Amino acid sequence: MPNFNILVNGSRRSVQCDADTPLLWVLRDELQLTGTKYGCGMGVCGACTVHQENRVVRSCQISIHEADGLSFTTIEGLSLDGSHPCQTAWIEEDVAQCGYCQTGMIMEAAALLTKTADPTDAQIDETFSGHVCRCGTYQRIRKAIHRAAASLRS
Amino acid sequence: MSVTRRSFLVKTVGATTGLMIGFRLDCAANVDEATKVFSPNAFIEISVNDEVRLWATRSEMGQGVRTLLPMVLADELGADWNRIIVEQASPGGKFTGVRLRTSGSGSAVGTWHTLRVAAAAAREMLIAAAAERWNVPPSTCDTKNGGVIHRPSGRAIQFGEIVIAAAKLPVPKSPALRDPKDFSLIGKPIRRLDGQAIVTGRAIYGMDVKRPEMLYAVLARRPSFGAKLVSFDSEQAMRARGVRHVLPVTTGIATGVAVLADGSWAALKGRAALQIRWSAGEGAAFDSDRFSADMQRGALLPGYPIRRAGAAEVEIASSSRIIDATYEYPFQAHATLETMNCTADVRDGFCEIWAPTQCPEVAQQETAKLLGISEDKVRVNITLLGGGFGRRLFADYVPEAVELSKAVGRPVQVLWTREDDMKYGFFQPPDIEVLRARLPDKGVPTVWIQKSVGSNLSMFGIPSEQDAKELDRYAKDGSPWGVFDNPYNLTHLTADFIPFNSPVPTGPWRSVEYPGTVFARESFIDEIAHAAGRDPIELRLAFLEPGDVLDLKVQKVNRARLQNVLHLAAAKSTWGSKLPTEKDWHLGRGVACNVYSEDCYAAHVAEVAVRRDLSAIRVRKIICIVDCGLALNPLGIEGQAESAIIWGLSSTLGGKIHFKNGQAQETSYSDFEVIRMDNTPAIEIHIHQGADSPGGFGETAVPGVAPAVANAVFAACGKRVRRLPITPEKLAMA
Ligand code: FES
Ligand code: FES
Repeated sequence: MPNFNILVNGSRRSVQCDADTPLLWVLRDELQLTGTKYGCGMGVCGACTVHQENRVVRSCQISIHEADGLSFTTIEGLSLDGSHPCQTAWIEEDVAQCGYCQTGMIMEAAALLTKTADPTDAQIDETFSGHVCRCGTYQRIRKAIHRAAASLRS
Repeated sequence: MSVTRRSFLVKTVGATTGLMIGFRLDCAANVDEATKVFSPNAFIEISVNDEVRLWATRSEMGQGVRTLLPMVLADELGADWNRIIVEQASPGGKFTGVRLRTSGSGSAVGTWHTLRVAAAAAREMLIAAAAERWNVPPSTCDTKNGGVIHRPSGRAIQFGEIVIAAAKLPVPKSPALRDPKDFSLIGKPIRRLDGQAIVTGRAIYGMDVKRPEMLYAVLARRPSFGAKLVSFDSEQAMRARGVRHVLPVTTGIATGVAVLADGSWAALKGRAALQIRWSAGEGAAFDSDRFSADMQRGALLPGYPIRRAGAAEVEIASSSRIIDATYEYPFQAHATLETMNCTADVRDGFCEIWAPTQCPEVAQQETAKLLGISEDKVRVNITLLGGGFGRRLFADYVPEAVELSKAVGRPVQVLWTREDDMKYGFFQPPDIEVLRARLPDKGVPTVWIQKSVGSNLSMFGIPSEQDAKELDRYAKDGSPWGVFDNPYNLTHLTADFIPFNSPVPTGPWRSVEYPGTVFARESFIDEIAHAAGRDPIELRLAFLEPGDVLDLKVQKVNRARLQNVLHLAAAKSTWGSKLPTEKDWHLGRGVACNVYSEDCYAAHVAEVAVRRDLSAIRVRKIICIVDCGLALNPLGIEGQAESAIIWGLSSTLGGKIHFKNGQAQETSYSDFEVIRMDNTPAIEIHIHQGADSPGGFGETAVPGVAPAVANAVFAACGKRVRRLPITPEKLAMA
């Protein structure tokens, strides 16, 4: 079986699987990193969002073959102890309902703030148009992003 | 209130564990000799090392129950908020006979009193033990932050030091509950206890369960309603790398062919390679457009009486100013973000299940039945739920995992893909309301005639002929919600129900029967107001006079509470003030109100913008007043109301489910559209406490959204949309 090497949260991981296996299932089934969620497998919900270097990718839409040799950060690696400004802002704003979508949302937000220090609502709307929260926590997500942005600037 | 008739307080003490207090539903006191652990329900345990353990008797699906119960416990007991450990109750064992089902917005209402009494009893026992030690009257003591304090001297002692002594004391029969004004957490905005686990990805949902040796499975399921598996060829599928087994699944409603593999992806690839022959079932031709046309005609059929007052038919015959309208609400899906899934491990005559479920008891019963073992041999672990909304009140996704695990002798996790989840749901059934009224003369209530065409099986799942005939029971239970409990004071009222069922499995969906009926009722009131030249809020208030309590036997409607939320909605929205003029947009405000299941009241005002060429509709703001009585956790209630509004908005502006050839056509969020960030309006929630006891709040704010928006669209551009969802195409046709 083919062998692939990826860097996940700073550690080198070697996996054996079919070349077309989406990164999502490698993370969840092989590496037991279940903070990255399955919501659709078709790139329409954003639950599986991770970082590849500084950009966001939908891990259900990138195969292990494409991922080979690249470096990824998942929610488990965003901070050591949940202290990333987005994570703390999410708690402060009491964003989560069921919480299932939130790891994908937080990864998206964290990436947005590295590029745009003080995003407007319109920029947030556009960035998050690929995400679904069936519990409808969008208003609190917006607030949490503004809060995280403020704490990063200060 | 004293302890309820069938329950009484019990205690137990373990040599090392400390004091446990709870309720039993029977009299057979039952101490496990080996562990010295007693088996009560609503169970709290105080250990010698000051830990307070609480078993949550509802599933956490975002409503915050795992935060709310500890708040209640901490306040009533005087426990240290930071030292409460929340465990999830499982059916059976010490929870035998205890309701663990999570539904009907009942998490708070159904548990809070029981928990308070148990906590109050524990508090009195702890106080008695401390008072004895200090030789002071118990009445001079209180509890606080996990200890007993002697008020006059300020002396304090931690619970852990006295639990053993406390446990030897008799359990008070009717412990005194704390005065609500002494609560320090209840009524305050408290954040979710699960927050940290969620934001770090450590929270465990059903799909995150991993067991040693576990196989991952997906099923190929029926191509149309009623189709049966004829034969299948697994050769290609078995060739996919990692595929271990291809097995037919014969139990449960979604019979099919399962592919079991070392990973989810291998299972999916194997499934794609299956060759399957199905027989065409009875529902193979079902088409929702045709069904909708049939339902329209159904309104002409004789109906089952739901409400009768005065002589509506006679009055309307002699009226000249009559208004008619027909409203339609389509099939909807739950589409929880976490798709259905279940992990089962069957071995040695025992079965362990991990499931994100709202009905653990059913999961346990069905598993026991399937395996031919007793229920005590089935352990159901309830994980967090990635959304529930009623979908997980069915345990259909459990038996298939059980059957497969039994067949292969290993733990099996069955994953539903998004497409499976869209197609094999228990859908919200459609609803058609045909309304007719006489326009109100000054001060004279109108005549109201309603034909409600819909499913009486919305809560039953798979339609059975027996259920379909039980109309009596249906109406006596107070259905259809929104028609039966029409709050308006109408001298002449006739409401009939015409059952119209399809082969589509249906189930409760957030706010159950209200969305369709309230959309119709609150739109129609608006139409009456406009036709009569009255203000929509003023007219509602008039129809709710004299602000009395409408007693419908199975349920009461407090009209004054509804009037109050309407008054507040008018104030908070500056109702009546002029909206600005915008070059490209028509602006308008709309209102709606509803009572959910007698104890929760809501009024919504929506502000919408409709592009002047009718090419776009934007909901800019929704103001919602909720009165669900005592607000235990305002932050949680606000969150649920915001969530409910987005839910309601998704079915107002977003997708619906179409059936063709006996199958749902939608596959994911790309064709079943839900609200996303970019069409989220500003939402403003105001909580009004119209009663001293808590009511449910998970669904209250859903039904008013669609009519408030539809009414606002009319106010903006003069177009009335009577069939949801509201789209630019419908505006163009209106
Ligand atoms: S699971 Fe990847 S976008 Fe939905
Ligand atoms: S919090 Fe439930 S899906 Fe977003």
